[in-house]
Amino acid sequence: MKRILPLVLALAAFCTLPVFAAVDVPYDSYIFNYRQYLEFTPSPYIPDGNVSGVNLGVGAFSLPRGICVGPDGRVYVADTGNNRIVVMNPEMTEAEVITGFANTGEDGAAFDDTFNKPWGVTVSEKGQLYIADSDNHRIVVLEEGELVRIIQNPVSEMLADDYVFIPLELGVDYADRVYVIGQSMFQGIMVFNETGDFTGFYGTIPVTVSLWQRFWRLFSSQEQLSGSTLFIPTEFTGVSVDKEGFIYASCIDPNGTQAAFRLNPKGEDVIQKGENGNLGGDTYPAPNTLDYGGPSYIVDIVVRDKGIYSMLDRRRGRIFTYDDEGNLLYIFGGLGTQEGTFRQPSSIAYIGDRILVLDTDRQEVMAFKETDYGRLINEAVGLRYDGDEKQAVEKWREVLKLNENLELANVGIGKAYLTEGNNKEAMRHLKLGMNRTYYSIAFKRYRNDILKENLGNILTGFAILLVALYIWRLIRRRGAGKGDMVSDE
Amino acid sequence: MSKFFNKEIFYYYRRVLTNPIDSFYEIRHREKGSVPLALITLLVFSICFTMNRIFAGFIVNLTDPRTVNGIDDLTRILLLFVLFSIGNWSVTCLSEGEGRFKDILTVAGYALMPLIITYIPAIIVSNVLGENEEIFYNIILGFGFAWSGILILLGIMTIHNYTMLKTIVTLIITIVAMLIVIFLAVLLFDMLNQVTGMFRGIYSELTLRS
Repeated sequence: MKRILPLVLALAAFCTLPVFAAVDVPYDSYIFNYRQYLEFTPSPYIPDGNVSGVNLGVGAFSLPRGICVGPDGRVYVADTGNNRIVVMNPEMTEAEVITGFANTGEDGAAFDDTFNKPWGVTVSEKGQLYIADSDNHRIVVLEEGELVRIIQNPVSEMLADDYVFIPLELGVDYADRVYVIGQSMFQGIMVFNETGDFTGFYGTIPVTVSLWQRFWRLFSSQEQLSGSTLFIPTEFTGVSVDKEGFIYASCIDPNGTQAAFRLNPKGEDVIQKGENGNLGGDTYPAPNTLDYGGPSYIVDIVVRDKGIYSMLDRRRGRIFTYDDEGNLLYIFGGLGTQEGTFRQPSSIAYIGDRILVLDTDRQEVMAFKETDYGRLINEAVGLRYDGDEKQAVEKWREVLKLNENLELANVGIGKAYLTEGNNKEAMRHLKLGMNRTYYSIAFKRYRNDILKENLGNILTGFAILLVALYIWRLIRRRGAGKGDMVSDE
Repeated sequence: MSKFFNKEIFYYYRRVLTNPIDSFYEIRHREKGSVPLALITLLVFSICFTMNRIFAGFIVNLTDPRTVNGIDDLTRILLLFVLFSIGNWSVTCLSEGEGRFKDILTVAGYALMPLIITYIPAIIVSNVLGENEEIFYNIILGFGFAWSGILILLGIMTIHNYTMLKTIVTLIITIVAMLIVIFLAVLLFDMLNQVTGMFRGIYSELTLRS
């Protein structure tokens, strides 16, 4: 009995240890590596509960379309089918409802105005709420429930006379300029200045016609041309504004190569595309099966802290997260009926350590909370973004313990070794991270070191070799001469 | 020494590199060539080719190591080699070429020698190169390919007793002939498949009905 006791105690101690078991999530978490191979990763985010209108006590949502988070952390949901805006506290436990606002008519009389299919919502830095009131053809700006201004009837030579303004998604920058995606508005994002005047289109996606298509167009008749698909730019689907005033916009790219745009004030795309040059979500063509390949259908984008941004895919219910350099950080999410899976995700928002996704079909807001793995990656990328590579290395090491195949972590550590001067370790990690540019820098330094140390030996060896060669030739010539003499005799 | 590996054969094997026209003439008219030696050259070339894909330096090597398979490489190279020989033989037979099939095999095999000689230094050099220095690796490899190409051209010209122009024209027609052979092979394979499928169908029909 005495012998068994320690064993039992040990067993008991073992059982009471906190167990870091893998959390069961109903979706896949993966990443595409340098060669576009699919690699499964630990879950960066796990489901953290659903919030529906019924939970909040305000009645079920009806086909909600837009979600956003204000600077004070409050969550706004555009409850499109019920023609109202639901405002939740940051913990998403309590809610109040905005069904209308006090407006003054053209004759100066005050009346209670209502919304008609409010689609997208956004909150400016000043805390003003912008609502895309789609079927009323206007954008309503409210502050604490009071009307600030209304943006409607855009007038411009660029717009057709019979143009009907139907705003769907919108974003506001620090100068109160409003960036609006209108229905079937393929000319670009509509920009309104702070007084509500339409100033022009912005960030049009260039149309690409392949050589092959051009070739066929040469030979097709007028009838065939009119029957074929038109080459018009893809429409934007979501818009998000970062703190510096750059506009992040998403679109549906049928080629699956670029679904995210970062537009500067001139409307030029300045996004960085990373090592793979792929910002389209899932890779196309399909790597293994259709479950993970083929172009994604990106419906919304949200900018997070430190240049990280996430995109929402409706085709497979994935959330793709990239960093400011365009490197893929993690992919998670999926379609289904279990808790934590989507049926028709339509809008994405970000608050602290949580990602919120609005599902139109489930009529719920679904929250996802970051795991250790997700948190470490986010923090490491954030530290690198701030230029604090040294501290980032510690985080990357932790990440590598959880997923030793992550190329980004290897590159992060490799770069730190490079600045430290440890070229050999830098080479090892940068090779694992498949980063040829930085590997080459480390390699050249390593090569120089070896050359410097061994220059004497190398030169001596070279000299000995030359002398040996000379002597060998001398001997050979003498031998050949003797042979000639023998043959002469 | 044996018929295929004697002193003279090795002498002309070496001389092909520097005096291709003379050596190929000897190979054609004085039986100084050896088909087994050509096949061994091909095997060594295939090994070098695979080694280049595995061991070339990280900077120049874009190959995914998981896709490298030495046996596959050997099969492909052998197939191409045989295809080229058959194609060239069938073309030159009809256009007054004097070379026999074994001469074509010998030329095609011997002509791979420069590639073997350049692959090995290229692999070594690639391991001490950084970015923007890949040109050295490419120059060495390009040199090998050019040398091999010249050997093929001169070899085919010599064994068939052709002019340069006629050699180039027959080589182009050879490529067409290779494509035709591939087409016929695929056709034959597909039809054989259908025939066996039919018999298999009849068999299963009979066994399952009774």
